[in-house]
Amino acid sequence: MTDQEIFRKLAELRNRGVAVCLATIVETIGSTPREQGAKMIVCVDGTLYGSVGGGCGEDNVRTAALRCIITTKTTELIEVDLTDDLGTRNGDVCGGKMLLFLEPF
Amino acid sequence: MELIDRVNELLEKGETFCLATIVASHRSDVPSGRKVIILRDGSMEGEIESKQLRMTLCDPALEALKEKKKRIVEIAHGVRVFIDVLSADAKLLVCGAGHIALHLTRFARQVGFSVTVLDDRSEFAHTSLFPDCKVIAEDFTEALRDMPLSPSTYVVVITRGHEHDIECLVEILRNETAYVGLIGSRRRIRFVLDILAQEGIPQDRLKEVFTPIGLPIGAESPAEIAISIVAELVCIRRKGSAGVLALRTAVGGSK
Repeated sequence: MTDQEIFRKLAELRNRGVAVCLATIVETIGSTPREQGAKMIVCVDGTLYGSVGGGCGEDNVRTAALRCIITTKTTELIEVDLTDDLGTRNGDVCGGKMLLFLEPF
Repeated sequence: MELIDRVNELLEKGETFCLATIVASHRSDVPSGRKVIILRDGSMEGEIESKQLRMTLCDPALEALKEKKKRIVEIAHGVRVFIDVLSADAKLLVCGAGHIALHLTRFARQVGFSVTVLDDRSEFAHTSLFPDCKVIAEDFTEALRDMPLSPSTYVVVITRGHEHDIECLVEILRNETAYVGLIGSRRRIRFVLDILAQEGIPQDRLKEVFTPIGLPIGAESPAEIAISIVAELVCIRRKGSAGVLALRTAVGGSK
């Protein structure tokens, strides 16, 4: 999804009263599946819009985003490490790290 | 108005601007999550009160806008800001609503282009055939004269005949655009470009027309050709014209 599509969706979900968290990649180091500025919306029911990297690290982001919406109700800055050894089962092996900012709306 | 609504309003207007978000802070006057919009003229709207912090933020934001490069900056001890650069979806105008357009518009929508289709035949340029697109069934020349084309507009010319290609390009090439691509055999393209030169379109502008259209992936069917064209549009959007030219050179300009 483009930035415009993400922000349109964010307003739409807010107007419908759905609790959501916006996850944005704010910094990348080394190889990461998506670039700085890539965004994903996580809804309180787990629905996702957009992507911050597909399989690689996205599960961690979703879990942290739900924590922001349901438990802490505050923002969070998380680091996702994609430097697992090659061949690791279900491993994140892209080789880089990314910093994501999570903000509940 | 909430900030998100203002962001959407600016994007609808086609503006490019910065959205700065505090991502780390231990100051109570600027907690994490606070946001400021910075426009091209340096004006700011949003949730940071401190004049000093606003001033510190202004220069890196304008630089980010100019370079279209997002960044993280520290505007005070321990106060880190992510400066995002937001632009409206790129606009694609497709002249000609035939077989290729049916596939092309769908792929282009999926990769985030905002799409308009134009044809003078209302049975082809029909909304039922082009979901999520703006569809215009009008004479090419008249429609294009009224259409705002800008440096963020991509144009694909795939009409049913070279006379319509000429009609379209005469109008289109008077404007600055992000991309213009023209379909056709080398013979047809040569003919069209010669006529356009006679019509007074400068050679430098004619050289900017991408022909043969699409990245050279050996496309033959309408859907394949549509993919090769959309791949070219993505390449321009991500890497600029130089990116496409490098790819074309690498494969020797062959189909």
